[in-house]
Amino acid sequence: MTAAVATLVAGVVLGYLGQRSRMCFVGGIRDFMLVRDGYLLRGLVAFGLTAWVAFPLVAAIGGAGVGPFGAPDVVTAILTMLGAFGVGYVSTLANGCPFRQHVLAAQGVLSSATYLAGFLVGAVIFHLWAAPLLLRVLP
Amino acid sequence: MATVVDSIAPVRSRRTGVRVTATVTGIVGALLAVIAGSLFDVRPPDAYGICMACHARDLLDWTVNAAAGTRLTVAPASLVFPVLTPIGVLLGALLAARTSGEFRWQNPDHPVKTFLYGVVVMNCALLAGGCSIRLLLRTAAGETLGIIGFGALAAGVIVATQWLRWRAAR
Repeated sequence: MTAAVATLVAGVVLGYLGQRSRMCFVGGIRDFMLVRDGYLLRGLVAFGLTAWVAFPLVAAIGGAGVGPFGAPDVVTAILTMLGAFGVGYVSTLANGCPFRQHVLAAQGVLSSATYLAGFLVGAVIFHLWAAPLLLRVLP
Repeated sequence: MATVVDSIAPVRSRRTGVRVTATVTGIVGALLAVIAGSLFDVRPPDAYGICMACHARDLLDWTVNAAAGTRLTVAPASLVFPVLTPIGVLLGALLAARTSGEFRWQNPDHPVKTFLYGVVVMNCALLAGGCSIRLLLRTAAGETLGIIGFGALAAGVIVATQWLRWRAAR
């Protein structure tokens, strides 16, 4: 229950700020490459650096720490790489990361609402067909 | 060039005069993600504070499990009650759009293509273990897989951008 309330509150704040700032987690790299605009890229870097500093700080004041993480096996590393490349590639074609699509959908952009419908159907497809198929094919 | 940058940069709020930049959003978002993950039980797995793909999956699967008695996958953090990040983001963005007068219905241009984009991004994200936000969060937490994933994500964005540029120039 704690997690549900915490994520709801965090989501409302992040959604509000994301709508006001047009934050997008793939748009930063895209805009910088296309028009040398670093506005969204600064947001991306700020997120990474803040989290990097905050993880040990929160652990120091008594929060649950992260890690240690074991060395990943080769198959997982390759799958992660393929999946993440796909997220980056298709998100750029779709004009925004999943977070930006949520924000746009709430703004009345029905194209993003369609994307979100596909997003949820995609989760069902992954667990019913894609993941079992991968488990059968992979060593 | 000015028009491009103007369309990207945020407008100043008409009522409060406050300009929320992407940098502010990044800092606040990262703090929320770390605090939710470490202090408010949004774990395991580690670095799970905010993820648009995994949390949407958890919420959907938990709801279907509760309604139909199925046993679809949910993360341990969502076993008892699901994480509500997607609903929160939708509500927060709706509030911001309504109060700033930016809410406007817009019909989709290519609904089938956009729907398929959503399907593919969710499948890739679940394969990689996180959307762009969580891959960055895992990178910041120092997880090797997160670093590999975020590198591949950046490579994907760069290749797609080059492809878009090539297509536009043709």
